[in-house]
Amino acid sequence: MSGDAETTTGPLVSVLVPTFNRRRYLKEALAGLIGQTYGRFEAIVVNDGGEPVADVVERFADPRLALIERRETRGKAASLNEALEHASGKYVAYLDDDLYYPQHLARLVGAMEGDPDCGAAYTDLYKVHCRILPGGARQVRGKVVNDSRDFDRFFLCYCGHALHVSLMHRRDLLERTGPYNERLSILIDWDMVRRLAFYTDFKHIREVTGEFTAPAGEPDRIWHAGRLDRQAFLADMLMIRTTRPPKPWPRMPDLSIVALPERIDELAAEMIRQIYAVTFMPFEVYLPAAPSDLARLKIDMPNLVTVPATRGASLQARLDAALAHLGGDYVAVVPQGVPLTILWVEDALHAALHDPTGRTAFTLCGHEAARPAFVLDAAQLRRAREGCGDLPLAESFRAAGIEVRDPRPREWALGFDRVLQGAESLEEDGNWVQAAALYKQIPPRFGNERWMRERAAAALYGAGGRDEEAIEIVRDLNRDRATVSTLLLEARIRRRGDRLREAVGLLERARLILKR
Amino acid sequence: MQLTTENFVVEEGLDQHYEVLKELGDCHASLGNHDRARHCYEEAALLAPEKSGPAVGLGVVAIQTGRLDVAERAFRCAIEIEPDCAEAHGGLAMVYQHHRDYPRAFDTYLACLDKDVDNLVALLGLFQTSCQMGSFAKVIHYLNVYLDRHPGDVSVLFCLATLYARDGRYREATEALQTILALEPDNAEAAGLLDDVRRKQAETGAEVRKA
Repeated sequence: MSGDAETTTGPLVSVLVPTFNRRRYLKEALAGLIGQTYGRFEAIVVNDGGEPVADVVERFADPRLALIERRETRGKAASLNEALEHASGKYVAYLDDDLYYPQHLARLVGAMEGDPDCGAAYTDLYKVHCRILPGGARQVRGKVVNDSRDFDRFFLCYCGHALHVSLMHRRDLLERTGPYNERLSILIDWDMVRRLAFYTDFKHIREVTGEFTAPAGEPDRIWHAGRLDRQAFLADMLMIRTTRPPKPWPRMPDLSIVALPERIDELAAEMIRQIYAVTFMPFEVYLPAAPSDLARLKIDMPNLVTVPATRGASLQARLDAALAHLGGDYVAVVPQGVPLTILWVEDALHAALHDPTGRTAFTLCGHEAARPAFVLDAAQLRRAREGCGDLPLAESFRAAGIEVRDPRPREWALGFDRVLQGAESLEEDGNWVQAAALYKQIPPRFGNERWMRERAAAALYGAGGRDEEAIEIVRDLNRDRATVSTLLLEARIRRRGDRLREAVGLLERARLILKR
Repeated sequence: MQLTTENFVVEEGLDQHYEVLKELGDCHASLGNHDRARHCYEEAALLAPEKSGPAVGLGVVAIQTGRLDVAERAFRCAIEIEPDCAEAHGGLAMVYQHHRDYPRAFDTYLACLDKDVDNLVALLGLFQTSCQMGSFAKVIHYLNVYLDRHPGDVSVLFCLATLYARDGRYREATEALQTILALEPDNAEAAGLLDDVRRKQAETGAEVRKA
């Protein structure tokens, strides 16, 4: 592949470049783009009403660069949508005021073309911590790869992990996700990445192919500005988590939560609000109740479906009333009293998704025989209730061959993060060797091999007296893909072993990366 | 377990560039590449003016190259940045020791050990200055504190045995030397000192009996 503008082979990539008052950094970002070894791209720069940038773009005299100069400021989402209207590539990539290394597009296109089922891919990037000096220059304080996570749909829905600027996806997926949400003031990128995850898996390319900056002292950055207003932030979070793009969702489970409060009162309203506050996988809430009671309920939430039921009806009767209306693949049955804290339903949902029998009802915390709380495949629940609808719930499950049990720890959601936190706790308590052993055990089950090997090496270094083991791991990492962190770690171990010249060599390599 | 979004927002690497330069400076200083070490420390100081490490490094390089006035300024600068920086106090004490200002060196080594009882350089400096001054009580205390934490440190045990012997505390000196020889049976210096101590002990015993 070649960076030549005349290159005609390979699919076209549309690189969207929204910009606002970043002339200096735009120049550097575009220079990185022009220097790509993969030349089949079109870049659409959208100036969101900021200081003029025509001269910056024209200076490159490259026909692959197009500029949309807008006088009014309409926000990043609007800029991305406007750029998309002009995009014609098979794939879409993103660039803000960041830096692509020369192989960035080539690596992503190679991964996507090599796997026709892959709709999206992402690489690792250095997060560049920097301080803004008088005059606007950036002083680099560190370059860290702190997002090198293998794709995890649950985690992505929880708080996101595939960086927008490292992402490439098929453009046709946007016909299903819809455009960027212009009503959001922050987390615009995560919203789109989350919506893409309804339709495709993401391929993780474990190679650092660029940098994005995290400057201290730039208060106009969306992330920082948006977080100052807590209420607005939570409103945006709710909007993102309740966004349900058009079905079918080939990759995302849809959860129907049947809320069964004892009566429709303020406690019931609080229960509903709490479900929205803590649930992060896509869901709808179904509330079966008498129509007159429902009219009294002062609550206005998206994706809340009210279902008429007889006043005073049993829990089982209300569940049966809701069952006819459910649209989800899985059902969570939630009577009053279930503790609604983070991961309250996702553990059971994760277990149900990976249940090879499909005939297990996974209980929620607070489950009792008289007040069942569980997640089950919707088709199985329907079958159980339709086949023996007059029986109590537990008996109808027995008749349908449905087992009721707690989800086991290895079936929980975010399993990787839980084990990781366990290892980190061991480190905090000074149990370095045990922590290292745990880090080594993680990859066969949860992936993230490189990341965990680096952690294991660091823990062994922390243990003292285990430098030989640590050096073996970190030396391999540095041979394969050296980062500033791994070079610094190996240098420290070498120095402790009085191998000062080797340490100097490693530190000089780290220094070069920091100065790049 | 309580997972929150904040659990995953860990800001690592804010001082990484500084750490690389400081580490590089330390390596160059150990290798005797003084100019390179100085250059690294100066660059590190620009990146993290709030840290005392680069000033300490510059002071160490200045001592290595015999520029004691520069070293003193550097260590004072480090103490100004970080008053509890044990290394800076230790470095300043070394400067005083080079100037043969033993009482001041002694007090400054003590200041260093107050901040870091594990500082071996200060401990040995304290030992040397106390030998010059002939006052052993304080240094014996610090050597014992250190040995409580590092019971197998033969070099410190030997210092302690020497001080006990000079102070006429032969029984304690003998115990310390026997500990060394249990750890290192071939330690000739310890064996030699033990012979001396036993001879002096015997002479003292004879004098006492004669009297």
